[in-house]
Amino acid sequence: MTTHTIEFPYTRTLGPVIGPFLTGLRDGHVLGVRNRDGRVLVPPLEWDPATGEAIDVDFVEVGPAGTVETWAWVTEPTRKHPLDHPFAFALIRLDGADTALLHAVDAGSMDRMRTGMRVVARWKDERAGHITDLSFVPEEAA
Amino acid sequence: MSRPAAIVGIGQTKHKKRRDDVSLPGLVREAAQRALDDAELGWTDIDAVVLGKAPDPFEGVMMPELSMADALGAVGKPIMRVHTAGSVGGSTALVATHLVQTGIHDRVLTVAYEKQAEGNAQWGLAGGRSGGMGAGGIFAPWMRSYMARAGAPEHIGWMVAVKDRRNAAKNPYAHLQMPNLTIDEVKDSPMLWDPIHWHESCPSSDGACAMVITTEDGAARSPHPPAWVLGTAMRSELGTFPGRDPVRPQAGVECAHLVYEAAGIRDPRQQVDIAELYVPFSWYEPMWLEGHDIAGPGEGWRMVESGETQIDGSFPVNPSGGVLSSNPIGASGMLRFAETALQVRGRAGEHQVPDATVGLAQAYGGAAQYFAMWVVGSTLDAVDQKR
Repeated sequence: MTTHTIEFPYTRTLGPVIGPFLTGLRDGHVLGVRNRDGRVLVPPLEWDPATGEAIDVDFVEVGPAGTVETWAWVTEPTRKHPLDHPFAFALIRLDGADTALLHAVDAGSMDRMRTGMRVVARWKDERAGHITDLSFVPEEAA
Repeated sequence: MSRPAAIVGIGQTKHKKRRDDVSLPGLVREAAQRALDDAELGWTDIDAVVLGKAPDPFEGVMMPELSMADALGAVGKPIMRVHTAGSVGGSTALVATHLVQTGIHDRVLTVAYEKQAEGNAQWGLAGGRSGGMGAGGIFAPWMRSYMARAGAPEHIGWMVAVKDRRNAAKNPYAHLQMPNLTIDEVKDSPMLWDPIHWHESCPSSDGACAMVITTEDGAARSPHPPAWVLGTAMRSELGTFPGRDPVRPQAGVECAHLVYEAAGIRDPRQQVDIAELYVPFSWYEPMWLEGHDIAGPGEGWRMVESGETQIDGSFPVNPSGGVLSSNPIGASGMLRFAETALQVRGRAGEHQVPDATVGLAQAYGGAAQYFAMWVVGSTLDAVDQKR
């Protein structure tokens, strides 16, 4: 028996900001970019949402730990979710960042989630430069 | 109630096979920044953004107008997406124009793009299924039908291809640069979809186009001459129905008559100085000359043959090189509209048609079923000057 996989290969040119951000994830670093107003934006952006002006590309490493600003528990993950068991989607402000990153927190149970809790990045052993190269766990569990 | 609208800023990218130096928003931003620079306006001067592109499966980025808000300085501003297949660049410019004409906004940025190297348009056109025959496969039988109906000889298509590629060589933004292309090279190039040879087909391009459209007050503050919108029209019909004439679609005929009436044009061949028509395959030049009643039945191909549509002819068509020379699909319609505005502003550079004061732009899409047109002039009474 032979198996055929039909796929359509989209390609993506990432540009001067998202490209280095994803390369950083592959290498085990989370990069933010410093805006003209001094704030560190994570994930990094090419343009300042407040003014529309271009952002001077000045990367800053942030994390790996951060604080949960808000969260929602996913009781029944689908195959497209980042984890295959119940987890929280959370807005996480990484240490050194001024904005929050949306990501998954593997807390085991909803009882362990609370706004303001500390979480830390947990990296996959084999990383591909994708946002799913990492997820987060409660700091006390790390 | 309607107030005048003017184009005061025009920008486009250098159209290429692949722009792998910029992100998708970065490509669109490049054209938009050039349009703002042309108008000497900043991002905060813009009231609203209208964006158009071909169907989302082309790049696989769904509802890109949302994720592009940062790149377009549109955070907290109205942003609107337009969907009309290949005609979308034209329709998008018209929606932006109407927002100004109706008094809803004073300064609108309109953008259109395609980054075709990131996906596969043929697959996108097939709705995600395999086996699509591509746009050429759909249009080829209608071109043959036109040739039979109009008694047009085979070499007309080759002449259009050579003309548009030579015009493109005068346009630094055009994708294909073939200043020395010959009739024999067109004729001897591989047959793609009979009667369309390789050199009679558009390329696949990454590119974007943008315009700033504003009011009379805005035009008065423009550092460069504005182009005035003298008439707009959109019409569409179903892609298939009994009795449909796909060679001369009724929606295209009505769209043309509507735009001529709006602009006060009685004889387009005499009162229009330059036309940018959506010609992705060579034969569509004579087909639209007849399909929009610029030429009578069987006269369109004769206008090509006699050289009337050359850049120095009496009715220049596609002095920019047209879709045949650059085809970032979503942007291709807006490029037609922008090129007519460049011409009547006298800012088209080496492909400028001398003393052009009235321009006609057209974009079509789908199975030759969606139409968008505008007439622009160097002054609000540019058409009246030609009576």
